[in-house]
Amino acid sequence: MSKEILVIGGGIAGIQASLDLAEMGFQVKLVERLPSIGGKMAQLDKTFPTNDCAI
Amino acid sequence: MLDVGRHPNIELMAYSEVEKVEGEAGDFKVTVRRKARYVDEDKCTGCGACTEKCPTLLADAFNMGLGERKAIYSWFAQGIPSTHTIDAENCRQLQGKKCGICKKTCQADAVNFEQEDRIVELNVGAIIVASGYEVFDASRVPEYRYRDIPNVITALEFERLLSASGPTGGHLDRPSDIAAKAEIAALEKKAKKAKKTLEKLEEKFGESSSEFFKHYEGRQYEGDEDRKKWADRYMEYLAVAEPLEALKKKAEGFTVAKKLAFIQCVGSRDLRFYPFCSGYCCMHSIKEAIIAYEHEPETRSVIFGMDIRAVGKGFEEYKIRGGNQAGISYVRGRVAEITEGSDRRPVLTYEDTRERVVKSEAFDLVILATACVPSKGISALAEILGIELDEFGFYKTDVSNPMDTTRPGIFTCGCAHSPMDIPESVAQASGAAARAAQILLESEMRKAS
Repeated sequence: MSKEILVIGGGIAGIQASLDLAEMGFQVKLVERLPSIGGKMAQLDKTFPTNDCAI
Repeated sequence: MLDVGRHPNIELMAYSEVEKVEGEAGDFKVTVRRKARYVDEDKCTGCGACTEKCPTLLADAFNMGLGERKAIYSWFAQGIPSTHTIDAENCRQLQGKKCGICKKTCQADAVNFEQEDRIVELNVGAIIVASGYEVFDASRVPEYRYRDIPNVITALEFERLLSASGPTGGHLDRPSDIAAKAEIAALEKKAKKAKKTLEKLEEKFGESSSEFFKHYEGRQYEGDEDRKKWADRYMEYLAVAEPLEALKKKAEGFTVAKKLAFIQCVGSRDLRFYPFCSGYCCMHSIKEAIIAYEHEPETRSVIFGMDIRAVGKGFEEYKIRGGNQAGISYVRGRVAEITEGSDRRPVLTYEDTRERVVKSEAFDLVILATACVPSKGISALAEILGIELDEFGFYKTDVSNPMDTTRPGIFTCGCAHSPMDIPESVAQASGAAARAAQILLESEMRKAS
């Protein structure tokens, strides 16, 4: 039985899932196709409905 | 993002792809290809000196092709990891030409042209697949002429124009004006070169080119080969300088886009393409119009849609605020056609269904709210993972177990599941994390009892 969990995709969903699992104490492997994580959200300037910065 | 990079329980494998998955829930064997960056991740400090010196200019995909990047690059400035990557297809050195400037520049000695892909084997108990989405290709809607009219852009392209770290530094320059400015820069370079040649000739003959040319045209120097060459050079210079002056004069009249049109449901709620509602685009357009107004208070935006779907906490209030405080008006109607009017301004033809009148109106910039559609690689990844897709091409899930894919132990969340906004993606991610944790804890409890 492995204690590790694989997360595929480093967008906002993959990042949140990885952080939640890491905080629970699991070892997480996060695989991202592109050179950096962030996904589409990193391309956004601000987010609704609070106009907070996306990055 | 930063938290992921430094969390002791997370190993980040960027620029990598999953190639094979075997086994079952609780005990998966996964093969991951770590693609060669040609830059050592342990040595690269992300300083960017290599990027500065790299001679190869390419379209920047992160900026939706609106800006430029080099062949050695970071995906975006604040990217995690900050390790730079060489685009092997476009790198001079890796394509067999003489270069290697980045390697000479790098003080950390991180550039390694001999680097190869690495295969890593993982043993994991559960898998969460959050492979995301793609925006709909707007050129598939013929009546909006996305490819033909430069000032018709997508919502994500507009997002990059709004961004302070984007290609325009946050100024809402129209793409046609950006292209004209690029042309001016290219012509100026040419003119400068031509002028230098002329200056040498002027020195040699002790006469200004324009004076000389008058005499030349008066057939004063017939048969003089050297002067004929000079005249040819001067005519070449004029062929560049004249259109340059005309363009420069035109550019003086360029202003930022102030009259914006947002067109909703481009690709979604359209039976020719995708019947579903993408969920976030109404709010996205409102947000973009509000931010544009914050950049330039003279901005006036019109949002064209069948209805505005502001379903979410605080969303309806946000919509009203946009209308009252950010110069947004909402028109009920689908835009029938976009054509190009004078001064490269797009002209919209639409029926205002509340007034029952067909209208035509010109705008500075048109922004298409493109649908959220399955990413191109999703079917290949689904095959590797051994999971099924639904009728539209997102991962297939069950209503009563929305985070579970069709293979036990593999879960999904975010826009790979179905179109959704950021708060919902985050909530789903926590749900998928809980489901994955259950798999690992269940077997643990079985062992204990």
